[in-house]
Amino acid sequence: MIEVNDLTKYFGNLCAVDHVSLHVENGIFGLLGPNGAGKSTIVRILSTLLKPTGGNATICGYDVAREPKKVREVISYVPQEMALDIKLTGRENALLYAKLYGIADRSRKVDEVLELMELTARSDDLVRTYSGGMRRRLELAQALVHEPEVLFLDEPTLGLDVAARTKIWRHILSLQEQGIVIFMTTHYMEEADEYCDTVAIIDHGRIVALDTPERLKSEMKGEKTSLNDVFIDRVTTPEEESVFDGYKFRTMLRRRR
Amino acid sequence: MNATWYYFERDLVKWIRGKVTVFSHLVTPAAWLIFVGLTLPVTFTDNYLEYLTPGIMVMSVLFAALQSGNLVIFDKVLGFLNKFFAMPPPRESYLFGTILFITFRGIIQATVIFCVAVLLGITIYSLKSVLLTYVVLFLFGILFASIATTIALAVDDHDGYAAINSMISMPLFFTSTALMPYDKMPDWLQMVASVNPVSYAIDNARALLSGSNPVIGEIVMLAVGAVIVLTICSYLFRRATL
Repeated sequence: MIEVNDLTKYFGNLCAVDHVSLHVENGIFGLLGPNGAGKSTIVRILSTLLKPTGGNATICGYDVAREPKKVREVISYVPQEMALDIKLTGRENALLYAKLYGIADRSRKVDEVLELMELTARSDDLVRTYSGGMRRRLELAQALVHEPEVLFLDEPTLGLDVAARTKIWRHILSLQEQGIVIFMTTHYMEEADEYCDTVAIIDHGRIVALDTPERLKSEMKGEKTSLNDVFIDRVTTPEEESVFDGYKFRTMLRRRR
Repeated sequence: MNATWYYFERDLVKWIRGKVTVFSHLVTPAAWLIFVGLTLPVTFTDNYLEYLTPGIMVMSVLFAALQSGNLVIFDKVLGFLNKFFAMPPPRESYLFGTILFITFRGIIQATVIFCVAVLLGITIYSLKSVLLTYVVLFLFGILFASIATTIALAVDDHDGYAAINSMISMPLFFTSTALMPYDKMPDWLQMVASVNPVSYAIDNARALLSGSNPVIGEIVMLAVGAVIVLTICSYLFRRATL
């Protein structure tokens, strides 16, 4: 499905993605890493928004750099920012995507994806009135109108409350059961641990761990390790690592009073 | 091609639903026409309203187009372009849809001005002259909508765009033949006005609406300009990373 070989991306002198190789055949693949590690860049290359500097990647056999149009027909990309037209209704938002994808029987298809995402009751309300979780589900509905084989999700549960996150995950799981390959990035280790079949931890553009969550955890010494422990063990972030100086901080606060 | 229409439709519905903006877009230019056209003590013509109307029509297309770069900025900053560009329709269909909408909205505004002017008593010479005026307005709209979208693609945020917009829109208007003919201008202004594309549109709208012959050379310049800027803009859009 997704085949990534030696993928490299430079922005000027900055190496955002450094010889990354991956292979995803099915299930839910989670890309983890600190802010600025290169997660979104990889997703944007795979969804044809950026051209790689070196290496290559194919999706369903189509090269992302040479056959972008073919790739776009088999994928969907839901970015971090929730980009929905709030002055349009939920149905109109989904219909726009059905039109752009050139779906033949589009009003039936739109009804179907709205139903799937449990939005039917509110589908004729303006998106302005939707909650964060509903907006995310509407984005998933949009992404499903053309029955993609691969779904790219960049931080799908960012900024949502626990209930909304659980609901989104239930939907993502059911999509995966229908055979859609999910490629996602996340900051929430617990979610990756619970739902992802395979995870890759990426740091400074390089893959530092790639396996199932269970095996990564079992490689750690000690009992009851979590994916958080694996993450902190493998990733180096100089900013957060420097020791927190409690005394200095309290003195500073006192002076402000 | 279909995708162009869908993007156009999206912008149109969003515009119409913002009732306050629609109202303001239609009333502001009419205010220009009335306050300037009926009040300025002008000596070179005895019907200044008739003289001014084509200028204000072109002005409303100009200002509408330059402001509308904001549509692209919004779509860029809020992440819409990321989603749209990961879909099969070519990037240009978004660009063309937006440019068409911007032009269309400007022309609607110009039409309101025209209706107000007719109500205030300007003469209509022939249907043909009015239709030809719309052709000129369309070419002019495409030219400036392309310029606006190109700038919008290049700058990072609303503030940057607003700064550039206010820097170019007023000078373009005041150095054109909107308010006075070439022979009433100081020499330096005459020079600037004669190379200002805004003058080209106004000269032709004015000639057509007063029943005389258009200046074909200037219309050709507008058309060529529109094609060139549109080509550059499409090229930049195809290569843009967001």
